[in-house]
Amino acid sequence: MFLLLRQLQRVRHDAALRRGRPRSLAVRHVDAGSCNGCEHELGAVSNPFYDLPRFGLDIVASPRHADILLVTGPVTTRMAGPLRAAYDAMPEPRRVAALGDCALGCGVLGDRAELVGSLEAVLPVDIRIPGCPPSPATIAQHLLAGLE
Amino acid sequence: MSAVETVPAARWREAVTSALAGGRFAGAWASAGAWRAAFAARGDVRVLSCPAQGAETITDLVEAALWDEREAHDLHGLQFAGHAPLRPLVAHPPDGWATVVSGDGVHEVAVGPIHAGVIESGHFRFHTVGDRVLALDTRLFYKHRGLERAASGRTPEDALAYVQRACAACAVANSVAYAQAIEDALGLWPDRDLRVSRTLALELERLYNHLHDIGALCAGVGFAPGTMAFAALKERAQRLNARLAGHRFLFGTVAVGGGALALDADAARAARTTLRDLRSDAAAAWRELEFAASLQARLDGVGVLAHEDALRLGTVGPAARASGIREDLREHSPRLYYSGLVPARPRAETGDVAARLQVRAVELQTTCELLDDLLSGPVGRGAATSQAEPSALGVGRVECPRGATTCIAELAAGRIATLRLRTASFANWPAVAHAAAGCLLPDFPLINKSFELCYACVDR
Repeated sequence: MFLLLRQLQRVRHDAALRRGRPRSLAVRHVDAGSCNGCEHELGAVSNPFYDLPRFGLDIVASPRHADILLVTGPVTTRMAGPLRAAYDAMPEPRRVAALGDCALGCGVLGDRAELVGSLEAVLPVDIRIPGCPPSPATIAQHLLAGLE
Repeated sequence: MSAVETVPAARWREAVTSALAGGRFAGAWASAGAWRAAFAARGDVRVLSCPAQGAETITDLVEAALWDEREAHDLHGLQFAGHAPLRPLVAHPPDGWATVVSGDGVHEVAVGPIHAGVIESGHFRFHTVGDRVLALDTRLFYKHRGLERAASGRTPEDALAYVQRACAACAVANSVAYAQAIEDALGLWPDRDLRVSRTLALELERLYNHLHDIGALCAGVGFAPGTMAFAALKERAQRLNARLAGHRFLFGTVAVGGGALALDADAARAARTTLRDLRSDAAAAWRELEFAASLQARLDGVGVLAHEDALRLGTVGPAARASGIREDLREHSPRLYYSGLVPARPRAETGDVAARLQVRAVELQTTCELLDDLLSGPVGRGAATSQAEPSALGVGRVECPRGATTCIAELAAGRIATLRLRTASFANWPAVAHAAAGCLLPDFPLINKSFELCYACVDR
């Protein structure tokens, strides 16, 4: 079933069928070792000041429903496995977003033995959202750009 | 300056027993061949030390030391005679669960490490019969970054970054506890300006945390109006943080040996006005919650933490006060600017979700009053001046939004030799598992959010 869907998507993609402008994005968040700052700010984009769900951006409970895997934190050795499992569970087309400086591998603090390196070393990163942590406005800006 | 009392391994339990008679356990840590524990009574801290080799367990004397011993075993290879079974805490066994629950109709429900919402990573293993939770196994440390180890060997100024980034929501409390530990070791004492500046940052942190935690509890029962009202209030508090300190989580507002947050009279006056509006809106939002029957019906008698269990498990903060432990470190913080503070009390010290929520609401009011007072004039940066002889070990203790956080810093040749950050969340996780036992599984999000502990500052 899964394979068939993937096949269908590939055929559609190859045929370059005209599709409407995408209007929604389902985002699955994975905390791969963050300080919780990025989580607070990602939560804040749903507050009444920003209310990103009105643009069709939703946080979904399962990677099976997700278009984007939004990852925070330097990837710890203990989270590398679950992170990969979440990515593997996503249907195509899928994108990975690195949320925050840790996920981008900038100035990461910690013991090297406990970290596998930046997110880039584990998964292909498509969207980069810088900041420590990025403000809700910055997150909104980058995710809305992802809608295009 | 904290003196260390060294005892032989054979006398460890005896020394701990006598220390417990005079104070509450505040943490234990491994330090270059030694095993040490701190005991706090009001503002005073007593540190005991024994050789790490041959140390006996103290978990039967003080159950709050359970996680400390388990962590020291996993991270430093220490063994504690009599601690059996010594279950892993940080090192996750590749298979199997430490708690074995068997019987008719018992099954396991696995949750995490990745959760359904925007939540930190950690694994919960529920052993249930039907919807009833028999036991909860919490497996945390998925986010262990080895921050304490990485900070070792650095100068106290450099190591501050590691403490600050341990947890965003407790960044100020952890940093102040760390700065106090270093200053304690170096024999420095903060002047009035520094005490005011740090207290201001701590209360601004408590303000947005408590607003967040009340909103999160509403989310725990799916009460969207409350969630949104408090999310909006928290946003306003964080925007104020950004205006005052240039950072929504107040990063960079604490320095070692001096202040890093200063406000002129105009900025303080403007912040005071903003806070007065925020305070009346928060009071109105809280009133709405009090009269929301669908929310209130979910709170009473759920996730009860009895007074004696809270004492036994070493619970701290709003959770402890909800269970009738009338303690708040802010009462005894001479290095900060508090006076006459009375620990918050719920309407009834029932130790349930309702009581924990009420404690936060009461503390929210106190915090607003404190902030109003702190912002009555300009805030200076301040400094810490030499007052005593330097020593090799310092202890800092701060009441963070979740309770008492203890930081221990040991110095050698001007650099960090050992760093231990024992946060309120670390102290309180065992209480979450205890409160969840016997409850309904669907009530767990609510129980968990009534404690609202961090994973980041436990895992470090």
